Amino acid sequence: QNRNICPPEPVEPPKANLRDDLKKVNTSPDLFRCTLTTLPQNQNLLNKCKLPLGILLHPFKDLSHLPVITSSVIVRCRSCRTYINPFVTFIDSRRWKCNLCYRVNDLPEEFMYNPLTKSYGEPHKRPEVQNSTIEFIAPSEYMLRPPQPAVYLFVLDVSHNAVEMGYLHSFCRVLLDELERFPGDARTAIGFLTFDKVLHFYNLAEGLSQPQMLIVSDTEDVFLPSPDNLLVNLQESKELIQDLLHQLPEMFADNTETHSALGPALQVAHKLMTPTGGRVCVFQSCLPSLGPGALKPREDPNQRAGTDVQHLGPATDFYKRMALECAGQQIAVDMFFMPGQYTDIATLSGVAKYSGGATFYFPGFHPVRGPAQVTRFERDLRRYLTRKIGFEAVMRIRCTRGLSIHTFHGNFFVRSTDLLSLPNVNPDAGFAMQVSIEEALVDSSTACFQAALLYTSSKGERRIRVHTMALPVSSNITEIYAGADQQAVVCLLARMAVDRSIMSSIRDAREAVINACIDCLAQYRNSVAGQQLGALMAPWSLRMFPLYILALLKHPAFRLGTSTRLDDRVNTMNQLKALPLASNMMALHPYMYAVHNLNDEGALTIRDQIIPQPPILSLSSERLSRDGAFLLDNGEGMFMFVGRSISVQFCTDVLGVESFAAIPDVMFELPELDNANSERVRSFVGWLREQRPFFPPLQIIREDSRQRMVFLQHLVEDRSESMFSYYEFLQHIQKEACK
Amino acid sequence: MANYQQTYQDYIQQNEDRDGIRLSWNVWPSSRLEATRMVVPLGCLFTPMKERPDLPPIQYDPVLCGRATCRAVLNPYCQVDFRAKLWACNFCYQRNPFPPQYAAISEQHQPAELIPQFSTIEYTLQRVPAMPLIYLIVLDTCMDDEDLQALKESLQMSLSLLPPNALIGLITFGKMIQVHELGCEGCSKSYVFRGTKDLTAKQIQEMLGIGKLSPQGGQQGRGGPQGPQQPGQPQTSMNRFLQPVHKCDMSLTDLLGELQRDPWPVAQGKRPLRSTGVALSIAVGLLECTYPNTGARIMLFMGGPPTQGPGMVVDNDLKNPIRSHHDLEKDNVKYMKKACKHFEALATRAATNGHVLDIYACALDQTGLHEMKYCCNYTGGHLVMGDSFNTSLFKQTFQRVFSKDRKGEFQMSFGGVIEVKTSRELKVQGALGPCVSMNTKSACVSENEIGRGGTCQWKMCGFDPTSTLAFFFEVVNQHNAPIPQGGRGCVQFITQYQHSSGQKRVRVTTVARNWADAATNIQHIAAGFDQECAAVLMARLAVHRSDTDEGPDVLRWLDRSLIRLCQKFGEYSKDDPNSFRFSENFSLYPQFMFHMRRSQFLQVFNNSPDESAYYRYQLNRQDLTNCLIMIQPLLYAYSFQGPPEPVLLDSSSILPDRILLMDTFFQVLIYHGETITAWKSAGYDTSDDHENFRQLLQAPVTDAEDMLARRFPLPRYIVTESGGSQARFLLTKVNPSQTHNNMYQWGPDGGAPVLTDDVSLQIFMDHLKKLAVSSSS
Ligand SMILES: [Zn+2]
Ligand SMILES: [Zn+2]
Repeated sequence: QNRNICPPEPVEPPKANLRDDLKKVNTSPDLFRCTLTTLPQNQNLLNKCKLPLGILLHPFKDLSHLPVITSSVIVRCRSCRTYINPFVTFIDSRRWKCNLCYRVNDLPEEFMYNPLTKSYGEPHKRPEVQNSTIEFIAPSEYMLRPPQPAVYLFVLDVSHNAVEMGYLHSFCRVLLDELERFPGDARTAIGFLTFDKVLHFYNLAEGLSQPQMLIVSDTEDVFLPSPDNLLVNLQESKELIQDLLHQLPEMFADNTETHSALGPALQVAHKLMTPTGGRVCVFQSCLPSLGPGALKPREDPNQRAGTDVQHLGPATDFYKRMALECAGQQIAVDMFFMPGQYTDIATLSGVAKYSGGATFYFPGFHPVRGPAQVTRFERDLRRYLTRKIGFEAVMRIRCTRGLSIHTFHGNFFVRSTDLLSLPNVNPDAGFAMQVSIEEALVDSSTACFQAALLYTSSKGERRIRVHTMALPVSSNITEIYAGADQQAVVCLLARMAVDRSIMSSIRDAREAVINACIDCLAQYRNSVAGQQLGALMAPWSLRMFPLYILALLKHPAFRLGTSTRLDDRVNTMNQLKALPLASNMMALHPYMYAVHNLNDEGALTIRDQIIPQPPILSLSSERLSRDGAFLLDNGEGMFMFVGRSISVQFCTDVLGVESFAAIPDVMFELPELDNANSERVRSFVGWLREQRPFFPPLQIIREDSRQRMVFLQHLVEDRSESMFSYYEFLQHIQKEACK
Repeated sequence: MANYQQTYQDYIQQNEDRDGIRLSWNVWPSSRLEATRMVVPLGCLFTPMKERPDLPPIQYDPVLCGRATCRAVLNPYCQVDFRAKLWACNFCYQRNPFPPQYAAISEQHQPAELIPQFSTIEYTLQRVPAMPLIYLIVLDTCMDDEDLQALKESLQMSLSLLPPNALIGLITFGKMIQVHELGCEGCSKSYVFRGTKDLTAKQIQEMLGIGKLSPQGGQQGRGGPQGPQQPGQPQTSMNRFLQPVHKCDMSLTDLLGELQRDPWPVAQGKRPLRSTGVALSIAVGLLECTYPNTGARIMLFMGGPPTQGPGMVVDNDLKNPIRSHHDLEKDNVKYMKKACKHFEALATRAATNGHVLDIYACALDQTGLHEMKYCCNYTGGHLVMGDSFNTSLFKQTFQRVFSKDRKGEFQMSFGGVIEVKTSRELKVQGALGPCVSMNTKSACVSENEIGRGGTCQWKMCGFDPTSTLAFFFEVVNQHNAPIPQGGRGCVQFITQYQHSSGQKRVRVTTVARNWADAATNIQHIAAGFDQECAAVLMARLAVHRSDTDEGPDVLRWLDRSLIRLCQKFGEYSKDDPNSFRFSENFSLYPQFMFHMRRSQFLQVFNNSPDESAYYRYQLNRQDLTNCLIMIQPLLYAYSFQGPPEPVLLDSSSILPDRILLMDTFFQVLIYHGETITAWKSAGYDTSDDHENFRQLLQAPVTDAEDMLARRFPLPRYIVTESGGSQARFLLTKVNPSQTHNNMYQWGPDGGAPVLTDDVSLQIFMDHLKKLAVSSSS
């Protein structure tokens, strides 16, 4: 048995088994995935194969190529409102048949003309029919009101805790740098609100000689201190904004107030943003202690390694209610947590979850004690401030008649059965939906999902981004298994497990995940592979499935018996629910590379730079060697583990120290040294970072460091205090599946 | 007789000059029964801060009578045994040894307080450290730009008039209230409060983050002043809202400069939302918890009525006009009672803490002074009423608040406590004026209250050299008891206060008057009648009564008192009105009462409740001279017939070839007669041939300017002419000796008829005499 189960390259998603012409135009798996790329024809078959059916979406991902159409007419099915797409059928040159509801629709006259080829009478060559991911600039009937301007409100914790942490310096520096690059147009507005025990507003009206701080101390009954000028035009008031940002860190440098009135701050943020909608960005360092939404510490640090976990759900519905109120006014709330101690993210993140916001988490943020988090904070903030943003968005998922969407995962508010309200949509948000088959899919050999995201761009345009995915339908269970997308399956299971952990318990969720694995493999054995005595068989498509399941069980979200701070755990749960599949997979099953012996074999050359391509290693300590250096990349951070017998060459060339012993206890980032080894490692690390929106900081960890567990805990194939090794896990699965 | 009178007038004048006091009776009836028959009560008008530039600076503490229940201050009326170094208290007759530092006194070498000319004397207490003055500006921003600009400039100007160590604060309000932090650099800061929610002092303290010390001098204390570290003064005084002028005048000037109109939108047909009640409450609360019992002025500037929250006087819908006297009579005023209650409670709190509330109200319509009057009445604050802040009336009046006396000191005193001590035969019944009772009981306190009684101590938070209180006394000596020992009764006023220099001072005024047996010596008592003082005392009593009684009842009371006084002190044969005679020192009194009855103090027709409140406020605080002018305005005539002369306040004084100058205290009015007006329209005043005419025109103007220059607040200055619309101000004041009812008697020289149904003074006097002599009444 080859124990190196992990392939040396990234796992490729399966391609739907369609006609070649359809395969070519099908939507990218980066944007749209289904757990089963061959759909079971009916619910019985789905039940039988014991795999969850669902779709995973990354609808607003930054794309290098996106066809954008300005057209006075957007062709949609008159019956089910599906946008015309590559998978419709043209009955003749004047009529098309909807691939979701099968209605035959007339083509409007305008559609006969192709703006790209400037030819007439070839509707199937229109870009809408050539691209399964496309964006329309919407005509006025798609607007309920004039498109809102880009409005950004920053809500900053300035209590003693936050000041101690020093994040304001980072925040103001980054903001000053990026002010010019905020997405928006001439109407873009910006405002600031700081709070500790009281709320500080800033009047930044154009023409003032200096900013005016307005303080509201009545946190039980908050109100706006001024009818205007608290949100100001970014261009007109730029100097005052810059003035304020230069002053802010010093202004509160001596603040001794430890109370935090987050709830009231959110209430006034809501009031302030109500007329326009927009984005509220909150920075919070501690547990809110005053006014509505005040919380009490719930975590018992002695129970962190317990056999079950309490308090995964919110302590109050205040933050959810706040989110719903915000969502109603097209306001999204994003939360940046920089907790010094327990901050009850389970409760606080509610405000982001239900308003289409995002959460960011920087535990141990400290300029001296936690520079990696400071770097990550500054980089993430830069990305956050300058990334694309869509306002007052709604997303509707349509699917072929017979399919039905029933459970949604992600940060949004469900407005009706298939309509998600997203006051903001960002390019880093992922969504998932569970699907059931209500009627047998007998009308066609393919079935489709279409996601349409209607949003206002930062320039005030109403746009619709449409993704359509076509999948073959089959009544053959072997084909179903062959088409299973193991990453999509595990990511959907992870989301379901989060829900289950909160509704029931982590123990339950773990059991359900293990059973999903056992049931599926048992079923496969019974119905496809044949009952070979005692052998555990998995289809090729699911070869990594048990390993992923084990990784899920060892993930900080679901692990038991290992000390895990409640906030850390809840944060990872939130990430599992709200990030796209690629990020989830990195977090569940990080990539590990040996970097002590990088060479140019198979290297890429990008912009004259040679990027080594070392093989991906299994997450097993068997892969480690005393004389090696290993880079582990989980998406959020990178860890370089340096064995004690590492060569002096590597130490001097790459780490800039004379020996292993000289590697500092705390070391972040690689020195820029002028030698080939250094360049190789740095260009590889740089290349990895470039591929993703957020910046993973690098931490270098000596084998004998007290920090070593930070690295070693990711080696999911190893046995840990409380968990199976991969080998033991397989044995367990085998035993259960072959019963 | 004339001589005798002359003597009394001199005596009254001398006493007033020396002690700032005028008594209705200068010889006192020696028994309770007789005293009650004097009709006009025994009372006085006392001006505690009467300017006395001649007073020697006394740098030691007063010597007090040793009797614990007495504690009167050594004064020139005390008998002194220089040999034994003893003095006898003239209130309780206790014999007190002089303190050791008086060992060297002798008949030739007496301390100032024993010298008769120093029956009023002022001590500067050395033990108490000087406190800086505090000015807290409370500024309405709901006004048009022009007014706001003018007001801002006035305030900026005032900064230069304040002593550099004075503490200053700024609260602005409209729909919201902003308490501004002063001395901030880089970013101005203010705490914002909702105008609809009243807050306790403690809540205000918490919300402003004051009163809590931050050990590391954290944000809460940053840039904060070292508050005056007086022993016993809580450290809470540290706060960023009240800063020394020298530290923050630049930033405050800028802050005022950038101040904008209230930014909240006001819909068509609405009044702006003005949170005056809460703004004032915050101001009072702020000072209450930071500087209790320290001289402080809260200066409220408002451009309209409170329209929301506690203290609202009218709602913000312009469809609902602000209440009139008519509404008041019908008891049909929605917000009045609650508003009065709010402002009265605030005024009481401010008074308790020794803080002054000034109101500067400038608007064309009413601003709610009727409800807010308590603020000024209780604390001795200024009340200034004008049409706009962009008028010289406001600007000059405000500037005059900061005028200085000959020694270069502000003419304002703070935190006064006036204690009254009386001889045993006398008790004090109460006071009327800009003060509150401190509810201090003593043997001197009468059970029969007049005005604010039941106490021997009153608090007067703010007062100046014209602030005048009325006190009323009861003779308690029994009818059969002999005339008290020494033949004189005494009253001592001990006024402790904070001088504008910050020093704690005590001014002591001791007055003594002879007793006389009314049964045998009624003529002595009558001769000591001070009709001017009596008129003002009766006027204040009448106004005080009108707070609670119906207008006609007050008039009836005033009439009855007058008739009884005539009966008691007039000479007449029964039932023969023509025989009625009044001695000279009573003769003007009926006239005063005639004009008082017709005055705006008792007649509300044509006045708004705000105006009534304002007029009554002034009558209640000004000195005797000013009050008399208010009751019976002065009229001077200018003509080619001779030098300017005072003339009767009578329609007969209005002649075509005269220029009249009338001073009602509130107004200074120049009236050109018909011929004068004609000459002016003919352009004589610009012709070289008529220098005399020019001089005639100029003379009253010069005199008027002189009046305007001396008065606070600045009177309204009116120049009008025969037939001019503003001539009505003159016509309503003069005695309507010629009216349309009797105008057939009017000849070419008989003056101008007045269109009124009021009775003339002549008819009034005829009636009065008839009633006085009637044996049936
Ligand atoms: Zn359709
Ligand atoms: Zn005594």
